[in-house]
Amino acid sequence: MAGSQDMFDAIVMADERFHGEGYQEGYEEGNSLGIIEGRQYGTLHGAKIGSEIGCYQGFAFTWRCLLHSCATEKDSKKMKALESLIGMIQKFPYDDPTYDKLHEDLDKIRGKFKQLCSLLNVQPDFKISAEGSGLSF
Amino acid sequence: MSWVQRTPLVRGPGEEGDVFDEEADESLLVQREWRSHMQRRVKEGYRDGIDAGKAVTLQQGFNQGYKEGAEIIINYGQLRGTLSALLSWCHLHDNGSALISKINNLLDAVGQCEEYVLRHLKSVTSQPHVVDLLDSIHDMDLCPVAPAEKKTDETKDERLRENHAELHKNCSKSPGEAGRSSLECCRVSEHEHSENPSLTWILEQTAGLVKQLGISLDILQHLKQL
Repeated sequence: MAGSQDMFDAIVMADERFHGEGYQEGYEEGNSLGIIEGRQYGTLHGAKIGSEIGCYQGFAFTWRCLLHSCATEKDSKKMKALESLIGMIQKFPYDDPTYDKLHEDLDKIRGKFKQLCSLLNVQPDFKISAEGSGLSF
Repeated sequence: MSWVQRTPLVRGPGEEGDVFDEEADESLLVQREWRSHMQRRVKEGYRDGIDAGKAVTLQQGFNQGYKEGAEIIINYGQLRGTLSALLSWCHLHDNGSALISKINNLLDAVGQCEEYVLRHLKSVTSQPHVVDLLDSIHDMDLCPVAPAEKKTDETKDERLRENHAELHKNCSKSPGEAGRSSLECCRVSEHEHSENPSLTWILEQTAGLVKQLGISLDILQHLKQL
């Protein structure tokens, strides 16, 4: 009786061993696959954010210089909106997908940008805004 | 999974070649069944392992790629934003249509650059992995395990560096002296199939534009690293 019990254990163990060895091999393969696949998605999302934030940044910096070069009294409101947008962008960790207020801050930046555009009375046709949301996980 | 085939068949002594053994056929059948069952177990394990292994590194890979993508593309975004600001300034101040169409052409060029870099980034990440190759080498028993793994990391780094170097090289490639007259260069679409408009060239053009508008070049200071 004891012998057949051993036999049974051996079969179960072999079962587990084979599964385990396949698992080990798969696990390592999965690790590198995960990096590759994750990187592909990450690159695209990061690029979208980088493109959008960079756009606002370039736009804001350039307009700040333009306003400085011919400043009048009534520009102070525009200047204030500009400075506030630049401050928001500089604080925004655009390269960190783990930032917990990413969407919240991004929405604020977009809103501020729109406000600035209407103050400046311009309508920049960024291709980015045509694509819709910059981040859609 | 080559080791599955290596698993020795369990045969009792005397059983082999015994044509008159009535149980011989049956035991062969059992052996086959056993082997296919174990192969199935290995495959199941492999699948489970792939899923588990992937789940662990997927986020890590995402974060890594996200950072890379954002850091590279932000420069193009900045340039696009700068040109858009200049464009809206020109619209506001009614600076002739020649300037406006020039800015529009430059904006198109930046868009193309951006697209090209993005495509390149994508293809970099989808290249076959060194690990696959090393696995095959490993299966051939050509080298011990530990050094092979260490080498994997080195090769991986090396490959990444190469890719980055190539990327930067491609990005800063100049469209060639022949195409430097402003009219020709603005028609970027003509270059589409040959070479990509370079960032340096777009920057030069932008600087010329700023001068033409009578604005100080300080305006481009934020585009430092391009």
